[in-house]
Parts: sequence; C-alpha cells; structure tokens
Amino acid sequence: MRAPAAVLVAGLALAVGVPTAWAATRPGPAAGPPVASVLSAPRTDADPADPAGAAPGVTARPAAPSAVAPVVPPVRLRLAGVDAPLDPVGVGPDGAMTLPEDVDRVGWYRFGPAPGADEGTAVLAGHVDDAEQGLGALAPLRELDAGAEVEVTDAAGAVTRWRVVSRELIEKRAVPLTALFQRAGPPRLVLLTCGGEFLPELRSYTDNVVVVAEPVS
Amino acid sequence: MSRTRSTTLAALTAGGLVLLAAPPAQAADTATVSVLHAVPGVPVDVYANGEELIPDFQPGTLTDEMSLPAGDYDLAIYPAGSDPASTTPAAKADDVSVPAGANATVVAHLTETGTPVLTPFVNDVSAVPAGQARVTVRHTAAAPAVDVRAGGTVVAPGLTNPQEATLEVPAGTISADVTLAGTTTVAIGPADLTLGEGTVTAVYAWGSADAGYQLAVQTLSGMDSAPSAVPGGSGGLTGDGLPLPLVALSGAGLVAAALAGRRLLGTRV
Repeated sequence: MRAPAAVLVAGLALAVGVPTAWAATRPGPAAGPPVASVLSAPRTDADPADPAGAAPGVTARPAAPSAVAPVVPPVRLRLAGVDAPLDPVGVGPDGAMTLPEDVDRVGWYRFGPAPGADEGTAVLAGHVDDAEQGLGALAPLRELDAGAEVEVTDAAGAVTRWRVVSRELIEKRAVPLTALFQRAGPPRLVLLTCGGEFLPELRSYTDNVVVVAEPVS
Repeated sequence: MSRTRSTTLAALTAGGLVLLAAPPAQAADTATVSVLHAVPGVPVDVYANGEELIPDFQPGTLTDEMSLPAGDYDLAIYPAGSDPASTTPAAKADDVSVPAGANATVVAHLTETGTPVLTPFVNDVSAVPAGQARVTVRHTAAAPAVDVRAGGTVVAPGLTNPQEATLEVPAGTISADVTLAGTTTVAIGPADLTLGEGTVTAVYAWGSADAGYQLAVQTLSGMDSAPSAVPGGSGGLTGDGLPLPLVALSGAGLVAAALAGRRLLGTRV
C-alpha cells in the first residue's frame, strides 16, 4: 500500500519541517552592530566642568534661585507596528525604571533628556506583554531591522525622526544601563522592552530587547 | 609664597585658568573650585596667591566651576579696584588646602557677628541614586542659629554660621524657607527650589539684618545614576521557544507518521 508510506513521509516532514521553518524565518536576536559598540562611539562634547575651550577669564552669574524652564515632554511614539502614547516615568522604590501599567502605553524616562535634546540619550521603555492584558505596544521591537525609522512627537507637536542603528537581545544583568541612560554625549534614542526566555516562576524575562537609534539629519 | 607658584597662577589667570605650568609633583592633579560672593553691598577683587583671580566680583554672584591645580592657596578679597599692595584685605584665608579631585566652593560671606570671611566648603559630588537629588544647605549669613524648612517641615534644625547640612531627597521642586531656630519666624523665603534628579544643589543663606537676607543657589550636575533595571514584561507571550500552535502542528505530524508507520509494518507482515 502506498498511502501509509505517503502519510509517513508527510508526517515526518511536518514534524521536522515546522520547527525548522520557524527557526529559519524568525528574526535574529540582533540587527546592526552590537549595542555596546554603538554606545561607545566617541563623544563629541567637552566636559562642561572643564573651562578649557570656553572664553578666557572667569565667568560669574547671579546665584539667586531661578525657575528652571520646563521640558516639553514627548507624547507619541511611532514606528513600524507601533503607535503608542508616551507617559513620563521615573524610578520605583527599588531603583528600577517604572513603566506604565497599561501595556499599550510606553514610558519616557523623565530624568534623562527628552528626544530632541542637544545631547544625551532619551530612553523610552514599555512592557512587552502582561499576563492579563496580553501583548504590549513594544512587542514588535524584537523584530525591528537596522535602518527602520522611528518618529517621536512632543506635547508641542514637534516631531523628531530617528533611524535604528542597532537592535540586540541582552541578558538583563549585562545590559549596559549606565551607557544607555547617559545624559551627556551625542543625542540618541533608546527603546527598551523585555525579551528572551520567559521564566514563569519569576513572571519575568531573562533579557532586555535594546534598540539604539540616531537622529535623521 | 614661592616664585614658581606665583608665575604659575599668573599663567593660569592669563590662560583662562587652564593649567599651563605647575610644580611637577602636581602636574596631573587638579581640583574643581567655584567662588560665591555673599558679602552684601561690596564688589570685590578676589586674589589667589597674590594674583588677581576674579576682578570686580559682584555680591550675589557665583563663578562657574574652575579647574585649578591641587595645592594650598592663600586667598584674599579686596574692595574692587583697590591696590592690594597698599590695602588691607576685606578678608583673607591662608593655606587653604584644595586636594586633587576635590570639588569645593569658596564663599566670601559674613560671620554671625558681621565680619567678612572666606570659607571653603567641600561639595559631596559622589553618585546620587536614580530618582534622588542631593541638597546641601549652608549658613553664611550674619545671623544666629536657624532652621531650614522644606514645605513647612524642618529639615535642617539649629544650623549656625558657617555650618552645613546635607540631605538626599526625591528630585523635584520644594518650597524652602529659613526660620530663626526653634521658632516659626521666617527670616528668608519661601523660595521655590528645583532639585534636579542626579544633581547636587547647594543653598546658601546669606546677608545681614541691615542689607536683608537672601538665598543663593549653586547646582552641580553629573552625579546621576542609571535605574537598576528595566522590568518590561510578565506575560510570557513572547518567549523565545517554539510557539504552542507550531508545537501542536509538529506533534500532529509525528503522530500521523507513527500511525502510518505502524500500518505500513502491519500490512507487510
């Protein structure tokens, strides 16, 4: 009989082919050069505490308390597969960055620069998913290609445009947080969410998806 | 004062306070120094080791941070425009030690009894935890002990001239005032102070009963710390394993193959 032979072959093909095809077509864990090498690109700014390069002589200014001009916050993030409102966020009591509870919203780290500031890295981060709410706004981040465009709109309607230079899946304890959150240096946009293996007992992922973008001039 | 040091400082002053030449032992060691003028009413010239450092320095003003060679400095202030060779300094401080790597603010101010004096304060520029701000309050006014309050709550009680108190608080804007110690008699303020995250803010109470009391504010930045983590998911919906429907499909193929194989063997027997 030939039918059972055909079923045997087809069944085996399905059993082996499905995982193979899945593995072959899923996005790689990284795109573009490693995040660490992108972040260590030479800094262009001078140390503000170092008066070298400033006008000669000592500069003095009034020391009376003065109001600090408020920063215009970013309010919307758009990129392929993502169109999410942004909320200003900070840190929790444990020192970890707080993220909006609503997984459809993305947090802007308000202690760092806003996207479009003259220097430093603006950080946007959101939940990749939630046990009750399902997939989060930043779930597509793990498939983002180098060269992808990102758009951020601020509360005054001004739009900044960015191009992804690097995406990488990095084990959480190895994520270069100090470099990612730096307030000096060239202007950058960093997008963060979770990824890697899910550890059900910890209700947590092993890795962070880190995307670094640079301004489109 | 040695001739070498004098020459060095002359070069420093001419070169915008960049270290051009220094005693060899200290060549690589610099400190960061700012100067605040908090003596009411009198513009002064500031001298370091006999060389003019800041001409015509106005009350209530603060210099930017200067990078100076570490070492000992003889500091003096004279009424603006006077000849230091024939004038008694309004205040002086000899052998002020400025160690390498230190960040200091030298304040010209009045003592509790109203005499001009130069006081060097060391700023704590160690890292500030994420979300926090460091604030140091300094009593440099011709006044007795004071309490410093934030939002009506005493945060630095019984401060006397020239004491200081340092706190770490959540970043943000506070309403600060200064009261006579142990009373609710407000001497200065209230004033809104913006305590930037990851910064150090030094707040000086200065002035005198005659000239009035004021606050001066100095902000030092660059002590910020990154958050400790970015915890971004709890659902397990995007784990990197083979998705369940595909596992099922692959498993179904395996079962079908097994059944077909068994049948194939059965027909041959």
